[in-house]
Amino acid sequence: MPMNSLRPKGWLRLLSLLPLGLLGGCAHRRGGDEFWMLDPRGVISATQDHYLALDVLIMLFIIVPTGFFIVWVMRHYRRDGGRGRHDARWDHSYALEALVWGIPILTVGALSYYSVKAIYAVNPYHPTVVVRAARAAHVKNPLDIDVISTDWQWVFIYPKQGIATVDRLVVPKGIPVHFRLTSATVVNDFYIPQLVGMIDVMPAMRVRQSLLVSRAGTYEGYSANFSGAGFSWMNFETRAVSRAAFRAWVARVQGAQAHLTYAAFEKVARPTINVHGRVAYFSRVQSGLFRHVVAETAAGKTYPTPMAMTENMTRYLKVQARRDAHNRD
Amino acid sequence: MFVHIDGPWSPLLGRLALSEIPYNNPILIGTFAFAALLAVVLVGLVTYLGLWRTIWRDWLTSVDHKKIGIMYILIGLVMLFRGFMDAVMMRAQQAMAVGPHSAGYLDSPHGYLTPYHFDQIYTAHGTIMILFAATPLLVGIMNILVPLQIGARDMAYPYLNAVSLWLTAAGAALVMASLFIGDFAHAGWFGIVPVMELPYSPGVGVDYWMWAFQLSAVGTTLGGINLLATIVKMRAPGMTWGRLPIFTWASLSANLISLSTFPVVTVALALLALDRYFGTHFYTAGLGGNLMLYNDLFWIWGHPEVYFVILPAFGMISEIVPTFSEKPLFGYLGMVLASLGIAGVSWGVWLHHFFTMAASPAVNAFFSITTMAVGIPTGVKVFNWAFTMFRGRLRFELPMMWASAALFFLLVGGLTGMMNAFATNDYMVHNSVFVVAHFHMMLLLIVYAIFGGVNYWFPKVFGFRLEQRFGKMFFWLFTAGTAVVFIPMFTLGFMGMTRRLAYVAFPQWGPLLDIEVVGIAIYVLSAVFLVAQLYVSFRDRAKNRAGLDAWETSRSLEWMTHSPVPFYNFAVTPEVHARDERAWRVARGVDTVRPERYEDIHMPRNTAIPLWLGVLSFGLAFGLVWRMWWLVEVCAVAIIALVVIRSFDHDTDYTIAAKEIERMERAIRDVPSGRPAADDVIGGVPAFRQGV
Repeated sequence: MPMNSLRPKGWLRLLSLLPLGLLGGCAHRRGGDEFWMLDPRGVISATQDHYLALDVLIMLFIIVPTGFFIVWVMRHYRRDGGRGRHDARWDHSYALEALVWGIPILTVGALSYYSVKAIYAVNPYHPTVVVRAARAAHVKNPLDIDVISTDWQWVFIYPKQGIATVDRLVVPKGIPVHFRLTSATVVNDFYIPQLVGMIDVMPAMRVRQSLLVSRAGTYEGYSANFSGAGFSWMNFETRAVSRAAFRAWVARVQGAQAHLTYAAFEKVARPTINVHGRVAYFSRVQSGLFRHVVAETAAGKTYPTPMAMTENMTRYLKVQARRDAHNRD
Repeated sequence: MFVHIDGPWSPLLGRLALSEIPYNNPILIGTFAFAALLAVVLVGLVTYLGLWRTIWRDWLTSVDHKKIGIMYILIGLVMLFRGFMDAVMMRAQQAMAVGPHSAGYLDSPHGYLTPYHFDQIYTAHGTIMILFAATPLLVGIMNILVPLQIGARDMAYPYLNAVSLWLTAAGAALVMASLFIGDFAHAGWFGIVPVMELPYSPGVGVDYWMWAFQLSAVGTTLGGINLLATIVKMRAPGMTWGRLPIFTWASLSANLISLSTFPVVTVALALLALDRYFGTHFYTAGLGGNLMLYNDLFWIWGHPEVYFVILPAFGMISEIVPTFSEKPLFGYLGMVLASLGIAGVSWGVWLHHFFTMAASPAVNAFFSITTMAVGIPTGVKVFNWAFTMFRGRLRFELPMMWASAALFFLLVGGLTGMMNAFATNDYMVHNSVFVVAHFHMMLLLIVYAIFGGVNYWFPKVFGFRLEQRFGKMFFWLFTAGTAVVFIPMFTLGFMGMTRRLAYVAFPQWGPLLDIEVVGIAIYVLSAVFLVAQLYVSFRDRAKNRAGLDAWETSRSLEWMTHSPVPFYNFAVTPEVHARDERAWRVARGVDTVRPERYEDIHMPRNTAIPLWLGVLSFGLAFGLVWRMWWLVEVCAVAIIALVVIRSFDHDTDYTIAAKEIERMERAIRDVPSGRPAADDVIGGVPAFRQGV
């Protein structure tokens, strides 16, 4: 795969572990699969990791010698047992002051250059790394997915396929996925650590994000921005599958009983804490649903948090379970 | 006119009803019992010792900058304890609520805190630690030190100083009241929009947060005006800008920030109040509201606020390191420029608090570069401290231990800060616990500087040194606690863990969360040693009496007057000849001379009005929170009346006769310094007022 060339080289990835080693945090490592941040499986996350390693390397180049110098000074010039010569008048040196200002300025200059480069590479509206990888692999037809966050679930709409899911994202491997994201209520962050960084999902506004998965697998996605009482349960499993498997999955969901009209969406969007991680599937999604939700939210539509939830959580979860059971009948 | 809110409301009590008292929550009942017991013991003790008169006359109505500073520090320490208890509860909840099969207690599905309660705790933790612990502690230290360092008798506006104090106290009291009456905000310490709008926060929590914030913000703005005026106008003769002590420079930079940015947050929160009370749509999602407006306004204050608290900390380190290196600060001019540079850059970096909002790459690029630019002056400071120690004669006494440990926090915080400033890294970790660990490194740097500063200047303020043995044990345990809590937290960040989770869905994060609890336990243990240190210091205070210069090698002006400092600071306003005046005089053997003649001293009179303004502000805010309109009206009218009455009071100052000063000065017996010097020489060598 051409996009593999974008993954950081082995030694670079090893070095990116250095700060962890420095902080003594390598105790609980099992094959690296738990360090989602350092185990990228998508083009965007691989690019981010590449620049992370670069940034850390440049910084360590400055910070480690400084740290050693400070420790040496503290030992060498200590009053009790130190060997350094005390000079009570020395408080200035042009050469050193040039160094003192020069080193940080050069470092910040270099880091700024790479930072700007990286920002354009993964720009959510036009990620050059995704565009290039897709061009190299001759992918013509990217997949569009509309994402709407509610209190506290994720609705994924596949407009061309006419299907939608709640709290489950399925994408084909090796094909660029373009998201449009909005929220029906409050701000959330759309985040799949191994695939793509955080992006704010905001009510009455639309943002974009892109994704190109390089390896099939199951990845965890969740909201990263606090959105209320059900925030901790706002997870969605992301499955990256082969193109054939994706087509089969779409066909299956197209046979789902439930349809997603705006009225049905309003029911989905009622404050719900998905404690059991239930997934829902919808076929025949009302066309233009995403734009309709954005417009309604802009016109003042809200889904208020019930007071009951704030008082007794266990009772509220029971009420919610009864409501959902009733709703299914 | 007012927006309609569901639920009961009565003219007398507003939204307050018996159901708002959390008498069915064992955690809060326990806390209340503890607080009540503590209050009873304190009141009993004060009554038994017959101290009420002293407390009223010498403290509550005082306008003395040192006493106001001490009261600020006391508020800061009490709130630091409260914020720490919040941290303990959060760590316990996250360690207990791991995975779908973890047990739940007290109506919570997992752990022992319902999500709504947990959310209030982390909001309170952040609000308290920034606004009611770090800020009062540092404002208190600036209050005590700045007038002493520039040779002034008091602040430029002593009455205003007391008003600032009591407004901050009212804000702190409001946060504490929310524990037992109603609830606190759940929308994060910086207010997450639109979660804090009425549809998503219908209770009084956000109102409590908002008004407590306002009181503290107004208090700090007034304090900023005061400190700036003091530094600009009240310097002793000869104290040119080039001779200003470095801590005073840091205070100047910090208060430039506070004066220019606190008004922004006052406006931002006033607009939020309009949303919540009058139903306007400044920050709502729909109907023309713009929630990003709030983020912009808040962080235009919020990020400079971070530097407002870190600059005085840098200033303290810059005072401590030269004293214990026995040589002047390296690169004084560079340090001054760096402080002002940090203040300057602070106005242009706010957007990095929402790099993830999907702005255009040009916007993120600009703010990524400005944020990194903060690393330049900060890096300069680290190098300068290192070169100050270079060729020094280092004594690792307690203040120096805290200050030099802070350097290492700056290295770790600098590395991780540069990682976050790199915008694409920020996309990966923006709301993860990696960022939480990063800013705790920076805030711990402040805590270390504060502990260093408290140990360093304690003898100046109280006349005796703090005990060293328990103090060192406290230092090492505190440091161990820091390592055991925050190394796992950084690691969890790389594992993808995000902030503010009342329930931890992924079991692989559990073991590290358990280690963090061990770290918290070490912190708790360390606090025992802090209490022991304070107790032993107080018990052996006669033995630990300190002279003018408690550390023998101090350099700046505050070490030239008695310890403890008399209420008029300096018997005669000192004439300043050099940047490190104290060191300059010691080098010439003219450091302990008494003045040839005394002069009358002009001092401000004590007043109870600031205290009443604080009480009434509390009443006003409490009335607003519960929508008891009568209380709001009464307090607002009373506040205006008091301010008017005070403005007609011309008897606000008095003069101490030169003879009286001389009598008081002769009664003070300073502990002689260990250094061979001409103690108690009267006249002869050049006196305070005369040029040399």
